[in-house]
Amino acid sequence: MNWAEFQNIFSDCRLYGDKIVINSNLLKTVDFIKTNYHFDMLKEIIATDNGDGSFELIYRLFSPDDEEDLLLSINVKDETESVSSVFESAVADEKEIYDLFGIKFIGNTELKRLYMPEGWVGHPLRKDYQENDERLKWNE
Amino acid sequence: MNKLKLNLGPQHPSTHGVLRLILELEGEKILSCEPDIGYLHRGMEKMAEKLSYIQYLPLVDRIDYLAGFFYSELLCRTVEKALNIELSKRVKAIRLILLELNRMASHLLWIGAFLMDLGAVSPFFYAFRERELILQYFEKVSGQRMMNNYFVFGGVRRDIEFLEDIEEILKILPEKVNDYEKLITENPIFIQRTKNKGILDKNTAFNFGITGVNLRASGVELDFRSGDYLYEGIEFKPVVLDGCDSYTRYRARVQEIRESIKIISQALEILKSEKDLNQNLLNPFTLSLPEGEYIQEIEAPRGLASVYIKSTGEKTPYRFKWRTGSYYSVNLLRKLLKGAYLNDAIAISGSLDIILPEVDK
Repeated sequence: MNWAEFQNIFSDCRLYGDKIVINSNLLKTVDFIKTNYHFDMLKEIIATDNGDGSFELIYRLFSPDDEEDLLLSINVKDETESVSSVFESAVADEKEIYDLFGIKFIGNTELKRLYMPEGWVGHPLRKDYQENDERLKWNE
Repeated sequence: MNKLKLNLGPQHPSTHGVLRLILELEGEKILSCEPDIGYLHRGMEKMAEKLSYIQYLPLVDRIDYLAGFFYSELLCRTVEKALNIELSKRVKAIRLILLELNRMASHLLWIGAFLMDLGAVSPFFYAFRERELILQYFEKVSGQRMMNNYFVFGGVRRDIEFLEDIEEILKILPEKVNDYEKLITENPIFIQRTKNKGILDKNTAFNFGITGVNLRASGVELDFRSGDYLYEGIEFKPVVLDGCDSYTRYRARVQEIRESIKIISQALEILKSEKDLNQNLLNPFTLSLPEGEYIQEIEAPRGLASVYIKSTGEKTPYRFKWRTGSYYSVNLLRKLLKGAYLNDAIAISGSLDIILPEVDK
């Protein structure tokens, strides 16, 4: 893709390693990249806890024609826009991230517990997760 | 007509594990489908953050018990690439042979299980008979039939032996695959149950993140093996078929078995000329990745598998993420089953080759 042209439209983005880091306009950027550069597939969304109350989300977009990857990174607090209106596969990814990290995706209507049971306290992949849940004591 | 909510699974012989589909029915027509997963969740990603790389290595076979080699290879590959370890030609050929044998075993099991879902019992026994040859070979080489734990960082546990067994498998399999095709491919009942059922067009497949055989059966030539370093110098053609339905997905898998046979016979030639194992093993006790982020991919039997490691330079990773093909196939069921009939539900979900430990991680 044409980096200079892209930077003209989204001025607050920068390159960091192989990642494009943006600060806002997630949905708009993803939609723009998909329609203009034919990144038709979202391989996955990777969430990481930064340890300071913020989370990094990496969107791995993929162009099947050029077999090329594009990493789009954004730092969020605990709420962000859902990209499920652009990529259906994001529904599944966002569900998983909601369960394991507790990040809410506005616009995704299917957010609920996925792996953990209903009513579970906490989100296991957060760095501040406490593993002293009393329900785990039954097998001690 | 009254609407009815029906639970398909989680304990259902045709869901290949513990998948629960909540179907909303009107008569026999499915109005909506909601997959409910998580019955087999083992916390693979959480465990990775607590264990050192060598402690984690035996676990990753369990992510997909039918294709364990692929996940060991993926973890080994990520660590090797991060530390710039080069593998010798013989080690590469050994890994390639075992991966492709594993792919054949996985596809053979799928053929048997899929046909059993549709009510045909005998192909199951035939497919398992040939799969048994491969599993017995795995047992001879690695000591295990399924959770092999054979690849290590920088090489393999020990040198490969019994090459005549592989040659035997390569000789027997093409005939047997022909037998399956005679039995199944032209069978009118099978065609009626699968042809034009579960139509997955190209754009939907991209949108749902579908990869692997399911995508190639929709007419897209996208095979991550072609850019893979293990497959350098190996001639093979991705199986691309243009049918988009369950029947095409079956045919694509059968052809992939034939393609794997060709790949293995080329790798065997390399193995015969390169006698020196020349491993580059890493000390597992001091192993740690330099600070940074690492992504590696592999074409597993059920689609693209990839791993993401974020390391802070310590002995355990800071964040470990798996991407598995089946996870997205389950999500696709919401779309494919909508508007289908209940008696096709199993035929459609079976044709996507979903395996639940891979979904739940």
